[in-house]
Amino acid sequence: MDASLLTIQPNAPEPIYRQIVEQLRRLIAGGQLAAGELLPSVREVAGFHAINPMTVSRAYGLAESEGLLERLRGKGMAVAATRRASQSENQRLALLEPQLLELARHARELELPAEPVLRRLTKLLGD
Amino acid sequence: MNAVLKETAHAIAPLAVHGLTHCYEGSNVLRGVDLALEPGSVLGLIGRNGAGKSTLIRAMLGLLEPLSGEARVFGEPALKLSDAAKARLAYVPQQPEALAWLSAQQMLDFVGRFYPRWDARFANQTLERWKIQPNKLLAKLSPGERQRVDLIRALASQPELLVLDEPAAALDPVARRELLREVALRAGESGTTVLFSTHIVSDLERVASEIAFLHEGRLILRCGVDDTKERYARLWLPASKSAAAPAQALSRRRHEDGSLSLVVERDAQDRWPEAANLPGARVDALGLEDLFVEIAE
Repeated sequence: MDASLLTIQPNAPEPIYRQIVEQLRRLIAGGQLAAGELLPSVREVAGFHAINPMTVSRAYGLAESEGLLERLRGKGMAVAATRRASQSENQRLALLEPQLLELARHARELELPAEPVLRRLTKLLGD
Repeated sequence: MNAVLKETAHAIAPLAVHGLTHCYEGSNVLRGVDLALEPGSVLGLIGRNGAGKSTLIRAMLGLLEPLSGEARVFGEPALKLSDAAKARLAYVPQQPEALAWLSAQQMLDFVGRFYPRWDARFANQTLERWKIQPNKLLAKLSPGERQRVDLIRALASQPELLVLDEPAAALDPVARRELLREVALRAGESGTTVLFSTHIVSDLERVASEIAFLHEGRLILRCGVDDTKERYARLWLPASKSAAAPAQALSRRRHEDGSLSLVVERDAQDRWPEAANLPGARVDALGLEDLFVEIAE
């Protein structure tokens, strides 16, 4: 993978380390990054985007703890081989937490009671 | 051995000030500033023009004597800094004026002799990349070019502490990105401590690990960049709910229709203030620039 594959928007409200993790998640889910593929080093990412290396380390660390990446001895970070199996249902649910919070917030802003929202969500998930 | 070194380094802040006050012609510029930098951190100092950023930087380095308070550099009193300490730091003012009778090349060759870790190759390459005529007298360069030469001088000395006052003003976008890259990599890899002031917030968001907002002579916010984005937000309350606004807010603005905008902070359990859950209330994430505008207005 090349560092240029990441897009950094420094002035977005979302912190840069979260932007990186989110993009890795999408690239892996979408198959652009295959299991075992090596990631650019912290230095390469920091240098290419002119961002603080600590931010990149933090993103890689978070992605590793989420099971997206694994550290290969002497080679750096790579896309984890056995992602799905290694994550419990709770861990995967935790990944959805930001979107769920956002959904709940919007529902409250629209003054919608829980029931119709849940009904619609159940239907969407059932499809 | 390494562990011991590390611990010593942690004990001494490269830059620290306590209770700084200063005034020019009767008006207060600094009204009691406390600030210390961790080794290896990149602190972005932000504030409106006239907020006192340059004065604070000069007082931190001992270049002006504050009305009260104390400043320390590598643990030494800033006003009586030893030569050894001076060789470990580099400062680029907004308008460098020193050694104007020399050409850029002469100046860099001359000052390079005083720095044990001078990187002459970096100096020459960057002069070329940043399009400075090496043989033109500094006095004949534009203010922007002067500041670029001074940035080259500062970086080539490979300092442990790098202090830049509004470095972005003199650089085009390409050179600015290059400077940010240097700052980021040096902080991350060589452990250089960096303090830079700017009003270009996106620069700061790229490389700073922490930000400090200076407003009317006071530090009103000091926080990690990521934390700041995650901890603060704008809460909007419709007029009918504005009585329920939390008492604690960084800023508070009433709109013409009676609705209210507040900058609020998460509590220790990561929750927004109660009022955020009221019907009609809205919480919006804030970029640093928006946060800055909200609280500096």
